[in-house]
Amino acid sequence: MTNKYLLKAWNFISSFQLTIVSLALLMLLVLFCTLAQVPLGTYGAVNMYMRSFLVWWGPEGSTWIIPVFPGGSLVGLILTLNLLASTFKRLQLTWAKAGLWLVHIGLILLVSAEFVSAALQVDDRMAIEQGQTVNYVENSRSMELAIVDVTDPKSDEVFAVPATLLAKSSTVALPGSPITLNVKHFFPNAELTNRGPMDPPSLATMGVGASVKIEERAVSSNENDLNNTSVFIEPVAAGRSYGVWLASIALGAPQSFTHEGHTYAISIRPTRHYLPYALTLKKFSHDKYPGTDIPKNFSSLVQISNPSKGEARDVLIYMNQPLRYEGRTFYQASFGKGDTLSILQVVENPGWLLPYISCVLVTIGLLVHFAIMLRRSLKRRQEKVS
Amino acid sequence: MKLTKLLPWIVGVVALFAALFAAMPQGKVNGFDINGFAKLPILEGGRVKPLDSVARNSLLLIRGKQSVRFEGKTISADQWALDLMFRPEVADRQPVFRIDDPDVLGLIGMKQTSNAYFTFETLAPHIDELEKQAKVAQPIDAKKRTRFQSAVVNLFERVYMYFRLKNTLQLAGTPGLAVQMQAVAAPQAGEMHSALTQLAMFRILPPLAGQKADAWQSVGEDLQAGATGRPLHPGLAPLARIAAAYGVQDATAFNNSVAEFQGIVTSLKPEAMSHANNEITFNRAQPFYLGMVIYVLALLTIFVSWLWKQELLQPTAFALLLVGAIVHTSGLAFRIILQGRPPVTNLYSSAVFVGWGAVVLGIVLERLYKKGFGTAVAAAAGFGSLIVAQHLAEGDTMEMMRAVLDSNFWLATHVVTITIGYSGTFLAGAIAIAYTLWKHIAPDPDPETGKALVGMAYGIICFSLLFSFVGTVLGGIWADQSWGRFWGWDPKENGALFIVLWNAIILHARWSGMARDRGIMTMAIFGNVITSLSWFGVNMLGVGLHSYGFMDSAFYALSTFIGTQLLLMGLCMMPRRFQFTKPSAKA
Repeated sequence: MTNKYLLKAWNFISSFQLTIVSLALLMLLVLFCTLAQVPLGTYGAVNMYMRSFLVWWGPEGSTWIIPVFPGGSLVGLILTLNLLASTFKRLQLTWAKAGLWLVHIGLILLVSAEFVSAALQVDDRMAIEQGQTVNYVENSRSMELAIVDVTDPKSDEVFAVPATLLAKSSTVALPGSPITLNVKHFFPNAELTNRGPMDPPSLATMGVGASVKIEERAVSSNENDLNNTSVFIEPVAAGRSYGVWLASIALGAPQSFTHEGHTYAISIRPTRHYLPYALTLKKFSHDKYPGTDIPKNFSSLVQISNPSKGEARDVLIYMNQPLRYEGRTFYQASFGKGDTLSILQVVENPGWLLPYISCVLVTIGLLVHFAIMLRRSLKRRQEKVS
Repeated sequence: MKLTKLLPWIVGVVALFAALFAAMPQGKVNGFDINGFAKLPILEGGRVKPLDSVARNSLLLIRGKQSVRFEGKTISADQWALDLMFRPEVADRQPVFRIDDPDVLGLIGMKQTSNAYFTFETLAPHIDELEKQAKVAQPIDAKKRTRFQSAVVNLFERVYMYFRLKNTLQLAGTPGLAVQMQAVAAPQAGEMHSALTQLAMFRILPPLAGQKADAWQSVGEDLQAGATGRPLHPGLAPLARIAAAYGVQDATAFNNSVAEFQGIVTSLKPEAMSHANNEITFNRAQPFYLGMVIYVLALLTIFVSWLWKQELLQPTAFALLLVGAIVHTSGLAFRIILQGRPPVTNLYSSAVFVGWGAVVLGIVLERLYKKGFGTAVAAAAGFGSLIVAQHLAEGDTMEMMRAVLDSNFWLATHVVTITIGYSGTFLAGAIAIAYTLWKHIAPDPDPETGKALVGMAYGIICFSLLFSFVGTVLGGIWADQSWGRFWGWDPKENGALFIVLWNAIILHARWSGMARDRGIMTMAIFGNVITSLSWFGVNMLGVGLHSYGFMDSAFYALSTFIGTQLLLMGLCMMPRRFQFTKPSAKA
């Protein structure tokens, strides 16, 4: 009995029908994902349709959601299983099928590469002004609350709390410092305006936050929109409260309080990852074709200084020519401030080599297979003629 | 030799000579060496080109055609540009502004009649109102404008272009360049110089010895420099004489001054002169327009051949197709040499190249199967894609490449491969359409022909799967090289993946026996929809890293195309002669 069901399942998982249905589902997902990029942005659309096991949907304004479509990860997984099963079931180990073997192994590798990058790829950015030295990359999609001890003018001590932690805890201790933070209210996204005389009083008792009116807003997944992450916190040290402060990405200048001779600056900023090396922007160039506004070239001349390796050298980063260094790729993404600020996109993807191997396998496989088929078809025609 | 053998040769050679004839320079017009003036090199849009290219592209944008009918005569773009720059009072009476929008016509106090072309004189009293309306509409995103707003902005931009070209070499309504040169340091001249500098559409004065290679100057810029005491450019004096001579219609003086100016340019920038000379030949030959005409002839011939004298007309049609392909190929080769870039650099050239790929594949099919179907689909694909290309040509089709695209290696590998993939998918679709029509129209469809057509489509689909897959992966590698990630689900990448997936589905459906001949052919027609969506539809979304090929007007054309393809798919699924089943007459 069990054998019968197992056989049925095996036949199903290795069937051509499943291949075609999965490919068609994948096509639909690609279509949805492309169209959804207009309202959601690439990151939001990819997370919703491609890097998920199920696509969820709920009516606007309500809290319940239901799965309505298989997601890209699920379809990719089924396709991989189907590919493996049908390869073993149908493909004989003969030279005539060598091409198809290569194609299918290559495809399995390609799908797994996408899983690897979905899980491990990190996209950050680095904004450097001319003459500035930067030793961190920022992730503009996740925020952190930074309490920075700025007492020593030579070096800062940074205590960072991820926004995700602020969202779910009411008190956060900062290890290595005497301070504990009471989280009064956290806003993933908010709109900040000047508080009018008729508005209710602000939660903040200290700093600029006291004169700010804050209203919660829905979170946007579009990478072109910035979420104004904001939080009301109360720093407490040695049993003493330093008042309630409003920290927000929308507030420019950092605010600070002093405890036992140490000055602590409070700010919300994109999450930083510090690097064991630093980049200095020596010059950013933006050339145009003569007499037009068509960009001819963007380039950043940077100096890498890595004290642990005793390395200090100049690198020119320009279009189609990124810097690959210590597992990260820095490429020219944008610029600003009248061509004095260069924005580098920084990508870390440990699986970057997989697609290269896969594409070589599939290309050779397709060539071999079609060559074999062409020879067979020509032979048949010849036989017919003679 | 029998006529059957001879006719294809005769027709082919005649067509080829007609093509060569078109590339010959025209003689003098009323004694004026128009051609000598039109081939002068200038710098515009970041590159050196002949004045002829600016004249043609401007007139094409303003009027929609490369010539004007005026006082019973046809005026070439070069003559029009000469009139506009040196005899503006004549040019203002030439009907060059095409206006179709009834509301815009109302704005200038005109009714919609059969004549849609208007002169600058007619527009002149309404320019202020036009500018006012355009300034309201311009800040609105192009996709969100109403029909009237788009039309008014469009007309205003054309009027402005006309105005700039008019005031490029000398200010209209002033005594002329010669007088300005004499009074170069006069106190009130500065304002005129800066107006000339700002309005100048192109830079005509080549860099002097010792200057940077791209330091071309406009007349206004040189006059501004002259006002500070620097000697004027040696080309300015003959240019002033050209202007004056054309203004009073003195052919001899005009020709002499043109020759003098040419001499100066040749001594300063000989390579610019020869480049301009080559490009003007290319402009005149219009190889892609000519190729389109020859493909239509081939298509008509093959249609007639199915009704009458097949053994004579089928090879003739094939000969015409070959000549069309030769003209098309030379056009592509000429473009590659002129631009110094691989064949596909923008949407326009991708259409030209898709057609070329389909034609070459079709020729191979015709050699293999010899049924006339290869000729028919190749001619139809060539014709169709060149028409699309004509509509995509907006201004200079050899514009400079934006920074991220500035890589000949990737343009030559990724872009060319993926475009060949498009060609293949479209050709398979065209074969499937031919199969559909043949199945319903042919009086006695033999199974063998049907099998041959399915075989052709199948082979071509395998070919396109290979090319679109390799092209997509090469695109991923380019993305990894320049952006640090192989795949980012960018709309254009998704579009390419779309084609790969669809071709893979067709092949698996055939291998598993889920789809038979009719199913495969219906799916192949749907391949046309998929390819057109990924080729153009993606650009209409306007998001992602690839959105440099944005277009706003082709939406309806694309929808219509998809509609027809869906209808054809329905037709393909239906049994033969669904509408008039006659009882077969049995003996």
